[in-house]
Amino acid sequence: MNYRAGTVPLLAIIAVAIAAYAVLFASSYDLRVLTVSGIYVILVLGYQFIFGHAGALSLAQGAFFGMGAYVTGILGSQLGWQFTATFPLSILVPALLAATIALPVLRLESHYFALATLALDQGLLLIAINWEAVTGGANGLPGVPGIVIFDFAVPRGLALLAFVWALAAGAAALAWWVMHGLYGLSFTVMRETPLAAGALGIDRAALRFVAFVLSAAYGGAAGALFVHTIRVISPEVLGFAIMVTVLTMTVAGGRTQIVGAIIGAVLLIHLPEWFRGLEQYYLVAVGVALLLVILFAPDGAAAYLGRRTVKSQNNPQPNITPPDLCPARTSGLKITGLVKNYGGVRALAGVDLNVAPGEIVGLIGPNGSGKTTLANLLTGLDRPDSGCIILRDKDITGLPAHRIARLGIGRTFQTPQLAPSLHLVDAVAAAHAGDGDVDLATARADARAILAGLGLTTRADQLCRNQPHGVRRSVDLAAALARRPSVIVLDEPAAGLTQDEATTLAAVLRTYAANGAAVLVIDHDMTFLLPLAQRLVCLDAGHVIAQGVPDEVVGEPAVIAAYFGAAVTTP
Amino acid sequence: MPTPSSLLALIGVACGAFALTNAASAQSKPVTIPVLVPLTGFLSLEGTSQRNGADLALREVADDSVRYDVSDTATSPEVAVNALERAMTGDNVVAVVAPMLGTQMLALVPLADEFKVPLVTVSGTAKITELGSPNVYRFFPGDVVVKQAHARYAVEELGIKKPAVVFQTTAYGQSGRVELTRNLQALGSPPVIEEAIDVSVKDMLPVLSKVRAAGADALLLHLHAGSTALVIKQARAAGINLPIIAGSAMHQPQTAALLEPSELAGVCAESGSSPISGGNPKIDDFAKRYRAAFDSEPDAFALGQYDAVRMILAAVNAGARTPDAIRQALANNSHDGLAMRYRSDGKGNMAHDAVIICYDGAGRTPNIVKRYENVTGAR
Repeated sequence: MNYRAGTVPLLAIIAVAIAAYAVLFASSYDLRVLTVSGIYVILVLGYQFIFGHAGALSLAQGAFFGMGAYVTGILGSQLGWQFTATFPLSILVPALLAATIALPVLRLESHYFALATLALDQGLLLIAINWEAVTGGANGLPGVPGIVIFDFAVPRGLALLAFVWALAAGAAALAWWVMHGLYGLSFTVMRETPLAAGALGIDRAALRFVAFVLSAAYGGAAGALFVHTIRVISPEVLGFAIMVTVLTMTVAGGRTQIVGAIIGAVLLIHLPEWFRGLEQYYLVAVGVALLLVILFAPDGAAAYLGRRTVKSQNNPQPNITPPDLCPARTSGLKITGLVKNYGGVRALAGVDLNVAPGEIVGLIGPNGSGKTTLANLLTGLDRPDSGCIILRDKDITGLPAHRIARLGIGRTFQTPQLAPSLHLVDAVAAAHAGDGDVDLATARADARAILAGLGLTTRADQLCRNQPHGVRRSVDLAAALARRPSVIVLDEPAAGLTQDEATTLAAVLRTYAANGAAVLVIDHDMTFLLPLAQRLVCLDAGHVIAQGVPDEVVGEPAVIAAYFGAAVTTP
Repeated sequence: MPTPSSLLALIGVACGAFALTNAASAQSKPVTIPVLVPLTGFLSLEGTSQRNGADLALREVADDSVRYDVSDTATSPEVAVNALERAMTGDNVVAVVAPMLGTQMLALVPLADEFKVPLVTVSGTAKITELGSPNVYRFFPGDVVVKQAHARYAVEELGIKKPAVVFQTTAYGQSGRVELTRNLQALGSPPVIEEAIDVSVKDMLPVLSKVRAAGADALLLHLHAGSTALVIKQARAAGINLPIIAGSAMHQPQTAALLEPSELAGVCAESGSSPISGGNPKIDDFAKRYRAAFDSEPDAFALGQYDAVRMILAAVNAGARTPDAIRQALANNSHDGLAMRYRSDGKGNMAHDAVIICYDGAGRTPNIVKRYENVTGAR
């Protein structure tokens, strides 16, 4: 959660406005609706972790909400337990449930994940309805007590409102604390460019796990507060309507901003109340209002307001000395007998390849020869069927991408993988997200220095989505270099670059290799690759058909027949 | 110069005049009776009937001494509680027409106790009058009444020995199932099978197959309107021609409209009343006015809610202008309504009669075939 300058004043304005309204103008009904809004703020903040930050469409938030509600409802109404005991349990139980089911559920992606989480919700709903002895069945259980803390009963009205919103503020502060630094950046990278996340050492599974458990904990807290205000627990708290409501709040308000959670919750709770006088037609009015919000603020109301309140950030650019980039450790790469099949297609048929520290190896071959497959196997984006990849005497074959990245292999992609919503400096700084001992300020300082070395000082605070292709390639490289990998694999880095950009790129790579890195460059541009590479390897149909000094390789008949079709003139 | 005694007398007169003015003002000040009913969601059909019944009664007030507005409570307790909170911000609220959905009522009762305002409803959920609240008044026979009539008619009149009970997985369904099963057991004909159906289920054949396999000799339904119609239609299509004795949803004209008359042959249902069945001039007149006002057929929920509001209005006309006075009237008076005579059993259960209606297979208007009066002996 990387807040722009307008966010904090906006939060302050909202807080003052709500407080003034509550104290000066609100009736008991208004206070109640505002109280419920505060509860939904907590629920939406939780949902933002998994849906907003992690980018996973979970349909279990209603289930966690309902579970928290049932824990408080049953313990409060049947056993007479007080808030001080039931509230922590209402947070803990859904969090434990989420942690338990995370292993099978979080392995799923997109709609499979959504369906699995929906199944959880429906399963709990069935239990709530049919386990009548414990849950009260469809009737539910009346008699849930109000909030009592050490014999002090929080009365309805202003006191309850203040209590709920204080908890909402605490929940918001915790969300900010979790998401405000490099950790938050890693979520953005994971959500917007999952391929790049692994290559930058970001452990997607761990992030998704944390987000899922946090969403459950927040959901449980909201459910507990909700049942204290309703005073009855019934299966409606597990109904899909709750899930739809929280999803709508998150989309309408904003998927990742705290302000968005507040706006979404307050808006969605109040809209039906404002139109309630229309009797059965109020749903039409609510629908039209929501449609307008989505039309005019497709990224959520918070993003819309943010665009209007935030002035352009033209930070003065300090004089930055580009660093002399050196790999963290020097190590070569040794590949033996690497095989990869996709069904009946053999992409790699036993490739042997070494890249020594300080060496730049060019990898060429016709389309479909297996170059990108080799890069993907080296960097953990895919698993080989057989063969061995050795880095610093350690077999890294088949390890997950983030672990390979942390062991020292970096890469760039054919299509630069940059999170569109990040500024250039943060897209590069995110490369340090997997390093637990680096803070955001340090990472940003390093990122600025690397960008300066690539001639991008003035663009550092611009958004990635607004950059031309050449800049995006340079930032992709900068992010890879920020990890100081021992081995760097570049997939067509010169494609689409101008002559000047390609020259700069070649210079950077030469320097990095000279400092001890092993560099593997895949490219079709011989004017770029031949002067750069010290050794050339040619792949065809998954086999290495030639390797050696570039001038000799390009002259080999097999290479000419398979790739060039005619003799190549060395520039 | 006025003497002290004359000054005191003057102050006394002024105070007396002020008190009288206030009293007169209280008498002339309009009372408000908010109508909070489910107009959307799976209970919209029943909720609309409830709204119409209350609305018809309130329209009959000739002057502006009674105000009301209608709010949709949908189907969640949260919306209902919000609606009550909002309604209570109105001027001089003396009673509230409350939703018939049991879970909403369970959430509203503690709030009504805090506001000290009586709720009148046609909810059948047994638990709402078992909470010890002095503010709940039910003008539709509860499960304790109608399920006894339901079971007795099946066993005593039709000679059913092996009934199958199919109920809804809602508060209404589970609450009624408990009473129905208890009465069947007490009558010596325990269910041979009990099956629950979610309101979203459209394919009833699996349940009907189980019923057939269990060897049931009658189908006792306790379902909402949509599910009731689906079970009957699919049972008849599957050749299951067992007697069907349904819950009160079947008495609704809108439910019967979903079925062909031939499918309704052999179908009976329990209810608090059946305003379209005819035979009572006052109820016939009510039905006529209802049709003119809403262009639809009245049902027992509408009539029950109509009677409830008429009882409140009678109390208002008799001088009850505060929630407490209305509560006293509801708790202690009896009221000869169109459907039946209402009197509280001390817990807020006002309705103690039930009827059994049956369709003859030639039309969609049922006949009242059996009346069970003062079933619990509480009146």
